Formats: sequence, structure tokens, C-alpha cells
Amino acid sequence: MQSPPLSPVPRDRLICQMPKCYTAESCLQYKTHFDAQVKSACQQRHAGNYGLKMSKVVMVGDLYVGKTSLINRFCKNVFDRDYKATIGVDFEIERFEILGMPFNLQIWDTAGQEKFKCIASAYYRGAQVIITAFDLGDIQTLEHTKHWLQDALKENEPDTCFVFLVGTKKDTLSEAECEQTEQDALKFAIEMKAEYWSVSAKTGENVKDFFFRVAALAFEQCMRKELEKNSHNTAQIGAGNLIQLEGNPSENKENDLQHSTNCC
Amino acid sequence: MDTEQEDMSPETALDKDPFQMTVEDVYDMSHVIGKDLMKISKEARGVTDLVADLQFKIVRVLEVLETLVNQSSLATEEMKMERDNLKGELERLVKESPQADQADLGPDKMVIDLTDPNRPRFTLQELREVLQERNKLKVQLLVAQDELQCYKSGVIPPTEDHIVTLENESIITSSPRGNDNSKDKSAIRRLFSPFRQDKQAQQ
Repeated sequence: MQSPPLSPVPRDRLICQMPKCYTAESCLQYKTHFDAQVKSACQQRHAGNYGLKMSKVVMVGDLYVGKTSLINRFCKNVFDRDYKATIGVDFEIERFEILGMPFNLQIWDTAGQEKFKCIASAYYRGAQVIITAFDLGDIQTLEHTKHWLQDALKENEPDTCFVFLVGTKKDTLSEAECEQTEQDALKFAIEMKAEYWSVSAKTGENVKDFFFRVAALAFEQCMRKELEKNSHNTAQIGAGNLIQLEGNPSENKENDLQHSTNCC
Repeated sequence: MDTEQEDMSPETALDKDPFQMTVEDVYDMSHVIGKDLMKISKEARGVTDLVADLQFKIVRVLEVLETLVNQSSLATEEMKMERDNLKGELERLVKESPQADQADLGPDKMVIDLTDPNRPRFTLQELREVLQERNKLKVQLLVAQDELQCYKSGVIPPTEDHIVTLENESIITSSPRGNDNSKDKSAIRRLFSPFRQDKQAQQ
């Protein structure tokens, strides 16, 4: 079943190499290349049979830290100085082509105002990426990121989400001030098991690099899962175990292990 | 009203309720009494001294009355002003701090000013529904924009091979049509339309 064509992904949304992290002190993975298995699967276009990949990203954080501005800078390349509170939630869909494969990010922008929390939190579910944003110029908003993360994690399966901690409004600080705040933020990031980034939606500094990193990591994870599932299916046929129970990943891992020991 | 009062004879001042009395009424009475005293002294020459004596006393009483009435109406005026000030103050406080009202009603109650055009009037559920509707329409818009892009670039958009859905209101999914794996179908709201997928476009 070959899929029909679709409109081409814009030239500035092509990713061929794993984008670098912001700082090695707090990053989700150090390697500078895509997973070799993923790469070869993409080259062989095997993945074409799996359907369009789409990852869900949820952006959380205090009001007025610039969540919407950050998304607007990346998705629309605009910056509006005036503050307009987000009502409940909003979203954007951003199309990429990674290692020659089409890939979509659905980026959910949530309201930071307390009164919308009960609405926004309904959209945390099924996130592959959680971005917790804070204002580099307001240390309190950094302290609140822990609560935001907790709330978002509560709605998701444990250890299924990539977490990013993003300091915004980098343009409003001197280099020295920024470095100092980053030291504090890195401690938070490590505790939160998050990858750290400093950005400015106003100047655009690091915005594209950041979202490319998000997209690449989310894509790689998607592909890895897909490949795992596939090898698992073949393994089952080999093991004569045709009935598969859904849902328990640890069990699946055990089956995989069993199979490999049987083989050898 | 004013012209009526001017036409009224000064004698009516004597019939007034003492608490409604003004200084003008006291002057009217003084006028009436003065006229009577003049009449008496004209009629009987012998009593002139007596009348003059009485006149002094009466003037004194009227002066006392004048002072009292004056003071009382001033006090009334002051109290009226004070009352209006307090009323204004109260209204201002009610408007500025709805908290104060809440304290009276208990922590979970809120007072809504029905004359405020910005008063809260929609429910959370209504907002939720509007947002869901907006999200659904935005997905449709994105799909349509992409399809348009297809036509513009001379690529024929795919027919119905993929559907884009808004699952559980918060997860957008794209899945092949006719897929037997229908575990989530009941929860899926089909949003129509193809989300084209592909690789040949780049070649």
C-alpha cells in the first residue's frame, strides 16, 4: 500500500542530522547522530508502511512567561510585543521531514492563568514531550515549573515523556545575568530529568534549534517504538506465541529477552 | 411651589409642625405678632407701655426660636450630607471589593453584579465546548490549507487514504482508513479528510 503524494514539506523544516543540545550539563541524550537502526529503517523506507508519524508536545508554565510567543516565533516567525492571555488551550501543527520521512508535531499551547488550569490539564494526556517554560528574569516562575511538570506528568504514563525546561526572554538579560540564572535553572533541570534551553522569542535566538531538537528526539523515539513493535511481532511468530496481550511493556520486554535466549 | 409659598399668608406659619419649621416661618410669626401689637397700641392709648414691655419679651422669645430653628435645620442638612456621603462610600466599597461580600456569604459564594456588562455569565462546560469546536475547525483549516498547497504545487492530493481525527478532544491522530484495528474508534471523532502522507513529493 503505497501512500499518495502530499504537498512538500517546506525547505526550512528538513532535518538530516541529530541537532545539538543546548548544554551538555543537562541534556536528554549526548549522542550526535540518529540511532543507527532508525536511520537504516528510514533509508529503506520501511517506515513508510507505518503511517504518518505525529508526536504530541505540551507547553506548560506560569502566565506571561511567553509560551505562546515562543510557539508563534517558531511556527509563524512572528513576535507580538502585546500580551494576550491564552484562553484554555490552543495548538499548532508543524510539519517536518526527518531523515527523509514526513513527521508532524502537534504543539499544544496551554493557558498559564490559574482559572484555566482545569480546562488546560485535560489536554496533557498522551504527550510525548512536555515543555516547561519560565521567564529568565523572574526566578519565581522557575520555581513553579516543578508543579507544572508534576501536573503534566500525572496525566501520562510514567517514563514516556521527554521533558524540556526552557528559560524565555533571554534578550531581557545581560550575558552575566543570564549565566547566573542558568546555573539555578540547570539544578532544576537535572532534578526534573529535563533538557535545558535558554531562548528568546523576540530575537528568535535558539528558537529554531530548540524545536528542531524536540522534533528530532520525538521522531527518533517514535521510530524506535515502531521498530520494537515490529521486531516483537516477528519474534512472536517465531516463538509460536500468536496471541498477544496488549498493554504491558515490561511483559513485552521479557518476551523479547526470552526469544533472544531461545535463539542463541 | 415657591410662588405658592410667597402667596401664602404669613399667618399659616403659626399652624406649622414645629419640626418642619424654618427660620422664614419664625420671621412670619414675628411679622404677624408685630402687626397685632401695633393694632393694640393704636386702639388703647393707656396700654402702650404694657404693650411695649410685652413686645420686648416677645422679640426675645422669637430670637430664641430663631436660633433653635436655625440650628436644627443646619443639623438636619449636615446629617443629610453625611448620609449621602456614606451611601456613596458604601457603593464604592461594594464595587471595589467583592471579597467583602464573599466574606459575609462564606468562602465559596460570589456576588455577581447583574448590571456589570463584564460579569461572568458562561459556564466552564460552555467554554470547553467552544474550545473543542475551535480546535476541530482549526484542524479542518490546516487540512484544507495543505490540500490547497497540494493543488497549487501541481500534486494531486490523496483521496481518503488517511483520516485526521481529534481523539479524546486533545490528541490529533492520523490513521489509515479501513484499518481493522478499531480499538479507539468509538472515542474518535472523524474529522474527514486526508492528511497526505508521503515521500514522492520530494523526488
